[in-house]
Amino acid sequence: MATGEEKPVMVVGVDESEQSTYALEWTLDRFFAPYAPNFPFKLIIVHAKPNAVSAVGLAGPGTAEVVPYVDADLKHTAVKVIEKAKALCLSKSVHGAMIEVFEGDARNILCEVVDKHHASLLVVGSHGYGAIKRAVLGSVSDYCAHHAHCSVMIVKKPKIKV
Amino acid sequence: METYVDAIGVDTEATTTTETTAKQNKKKLKVMVAMDESKNSFYALEWAVEHLRDVISAEPETDQAGGLLTLVHVHPTYLQYIYPSGGTASAMYAIDSVPESMKKAREESTTKLFTRSLEICRGKLVKTETMILEGDPKEMICQAVEQTHVDLLVVGSRGLGMIKRAFLGSVSDYCAQHAKCPILIVRPPRETSTSSSTKEHKSK
Repeated sequence: MATGEEKPVMVVGVDESEQSTYALEWTLDRFFAPYAPNFPFKLIIVHAKPNAVSAVGLAGPGTAEVVPYVDADLKHTAVKVIEKAKALCLSKSVHGAMIEVFEGDARNILCEVVDKHHASLLVVGSHGYGAIKRAVLGSVSDYCAHHAHCSVMIVKKPKIKV
Repeated sequence: METYVDAIGVDTEATTTTETTAKQNKKKLKVMVAMDESKNSFYALEWAVEHLRDVISAEPETDQAGGLLTLVHVHPTYLQYIYPSGGTASAMYAIDSVPESMKKAREESTTKLFTRSLEICRGKLVKTETMILEGDPKEMICQAVEQTHVDLLVVGSRGLGMIKRAFLGSVSDYCAQHAKCPILIVRPPRETSTSSSTKEHKSK
């Protein structure tokens, strides 16, 4: 229940994938853009930058030299993601969105951010993995749907049937 | 209320491309809510009506037409699974007579379910319609989504743990993977979810 003037909080998780950009754009289009300047939700965009050491964890010998390069690359990707998110918000005239970056596993970070801000809604994209890829790579949207302490909206980029 | 009028003003000042997309997107959402008799799906409907009020309700001040709220209930037909294990003539006869009384009972419970749901939607300025389907809930819901081209599917979640979910199957899981539109999974409020997790600890 909203307490007086407080707006419910919506957290959107983004990564560098196209599906994630689509999810953010869809959300901005449907929930924010038409209601400027009085948005129905307070928007928080979160990017989880993978930890460099965990990313090369399975590489084997010689990982020590690779880590700094991987780290720099990940930082570069994170910056690009944030810039893209900011540009999207601006293009839809959505101001006042909070953008946060954390380092670590996306699943845990998204759930933590939800708890920290007492969000009422978490929005994630979905890579649309099949059952096998899902079992091997894991699915952040699956994890969040089951473990987040708020309602979860999974936005999929529609696949064009060939 | 005045803020909505201001919003229209902002839209017309924008450039032509954003103006057309804004006009397109100002159309309210078509939302489908999957219902069964469980407490969680009623909670999901209440949550959806409360939080999505801004994106589905009509705004009479600005002549903005409301979206559409579809409540869909699927009758699971488990009767067909009885045939393979039966096999004897007596088993088949028993099954023939059962459906009639079961159908009546099902109709009654469905009517009750929709009466309660429509109570929740009352006064929210949104066109509400109901849909009854028969078959496997997971597949029928995804089919209904495809046929009606809704913008958003809302489902409750029983808050099952991983093991229960693997054995009992989860409609929300299946829909999250297979539905052709974005899906909103409404978690039950904190108190009930912690009680279900303690139950699982005990059973383990």
